[in-house]
Amino acid sequence: MAKVLMKGNEAIGEAAIRAGCLNYFAYPITPQSEVAEYLAKRLPEAGGTFVQGESEVAVGYMIFGAAACGERVMTTSSSPGVSLMSEAISYIAGARCPAVFVNIMRGGPGLGGILPSQGDYFQATKGGGHGDYHMLVMAPDGVQEAVEMTMQAFPLAEKYRGPVMIMGDGMIGQMMEPVEFPEDLYVPPTNKDEWATNGMDTRKSDTKNIVKSLYLDPTVLNDHNLLLKSQYDRMKEEEVRFENYNTDGDYQALIVSYGTMSRVCKTAIDEMKAQGLEIGMVRPKTLFPFPEKAIHDAASKPGCKVVVSIEMSMGQMVEDVERVVKGKTPVQWYGQCGGEVPTPQKVMEHIQSLLNS
Amino acid sequence: MEVKGIVIIAGNYGSGKTETSVNLALHGKKAGLAVSIVDLDLVNPYFRTREARDVLTRQGINVVLPDEKYMHADLPILSPKVAGIIKNSSDLTILDAGGDDVGVTVLAALADSMAEHTVQMLQVVNPYRPFTETVEGCLKIKEEIEISSKLKVTGWVSNANLIDDTTPQDIYRGYDLVQALALKTGIPVEFITASTELMDGLDLSRFDCPVLPIERKLAPPWRRSRQ
Repeated sequence: MAKVLMKGNEAIGEAAIRAGCLNYFAYPITPQSEVAEYLAKRLPEAGGTFVQGESEVAVGYMIFGAAACGERVMTTSSSPGVSLMSEAISYIAGARCPAVFVNIMRGGPGLGGILPSQGDYFQATKGGGHGDYHMLVMAPDGVQEAVEMTMQAFPLAEKYRGPVMIMGDGMIGQMMEPVEFPEDLYVPPTNKDEWATNGMDTRKSDTKNIVKSLYLDPTVLNDHNLLLKSQYDRMKEEEVRFENYNTDGDYQALIVSYGTMSRVCKTAIDEMKAQGLEIGMVRPKTLFPFPEKAIHDAASKPGCKVVVSIEMSMGQMVEDVERVVKGKTPVQWYGQCGGEVPTPQKVMEHIQSLLNS
Repeated sequence: MEVKGIVIIAGNYGSGKTETSVNLALHGKKAGLAVSIVDLDLVNPYFRTREARDVLTRQGINVVLPDEKYMHADLPILSPKVAGIIKNSSDLTILDAGGDDVGVTVLAALADSMAEHTVQMLQVVNPYRPFTETVEGCLKIKEEIEISSKLKVTGWVSNANLIDDTTPQDIYRGYDLVQALALKTGIPVEFITASTELMDGLDLSRFDCPVLPIERKLAPPWRRSRQ
């Protein structure tokens, strides 16, 4: 297919259709509303269903219901809406149903603002809802990657039988880039018999699927959590994704940055390189599982004096960076939140002042 | 290029209305016109005229924006200044509307102010955007825009582009699409756009209309420091 020019939000909607998702439930919120607008137009053409829920709480459970029936299903929202869905996400994780959640982050806490932010890192990677669960979290740095990750999210959700989250921000959702929809990223569902309810048929068969997250027997609940943990451990083995940037040679500092912020950092790294200052970067593409070894190894390279986690938040991912660098190299945070994306100039000035101090 | 008077820039969502408006304003100013530009996009708070405010103001263009304190809100606030600008219009007054039919609904509220003036409404088309790849797609948007705005489209503008991936062939495809629209509707092609970097590679004899060179003013933050 030839290239088209799309906003991140529209491209995520189209990617879901191409991935075989014909069920989309959502509630409008800036800056993700274009996903709903786009799919309201496109899904009926594709034979699918869009329902605007009465709230994000309702939407969360519509997703649960469709996932329990073995349907590929997605919702999209922005930060405050994802908070409202968090209860359902925990239930979906507990019931081991696959579903795709997209968070086009805006400034917080509370209603915050409507401009881009990365303030939901903790919420996405450390819970949000209650209980011992994780989501596989992927963070695209542009519209093409948002397409690819959205298409991959559905089979991954089925592989691990749980919620998968795409973490964008207002900039990723609103910016336009030329994109293609690679057909080979479509993977048909294969294992829905493992969990899906299928109505009356199950009464006749010996094996029926009961979708639930309630386990009153403490031993059974412990075993259930061990099963969930084994899935997260397997994600850590098989799904870690990252990009190294300017790390082949020596560098004086290492940046860790993702999404929109990493695009700014790349511009800053290119400009510093032109001035003779080498700075490396590791860009996590999966926030959970976190690229622990890649960051640890890049931070441990001789000559690297400092590691800086650069985020559009007040310092969230930096806690994971500290955890994996394990004191090998000093770790610092730099960032800005509220909606203004730090400029390449600001990133350069910060790195240069760190190295001169 | 002879675009003058009150000009509304409309079109489907993401067709490039703001980039076209901003460059049309700068072009008019260079040609010696007194220019005003009004940000009427009440729909979407991202990538709006307001981001090009400094460039425009430095050139002496009158930029009409919502009040500072509402600048980052997604609220449908129509500044009372807008009606005044229409009543006392410049040589060239550009109204940069929001996308689709919802984006031009606000124009109906300005109908009284516009009644005494000749108003042009140009529909911007990019064949690489969803829903406007074909004549039928563009005509559907035209109809929706006309119903919501209570105004008629008076000219077509091709803004064919894939941002950095645009080739001369893409510009020709956009031209052919608006030509087909002109043939079908009897509404003329007002102009087409092309990025300044592509101008040298274009066969201008292929076009029966002016070409507005576009210098990108609305870029994501990682591109801004290079400008």
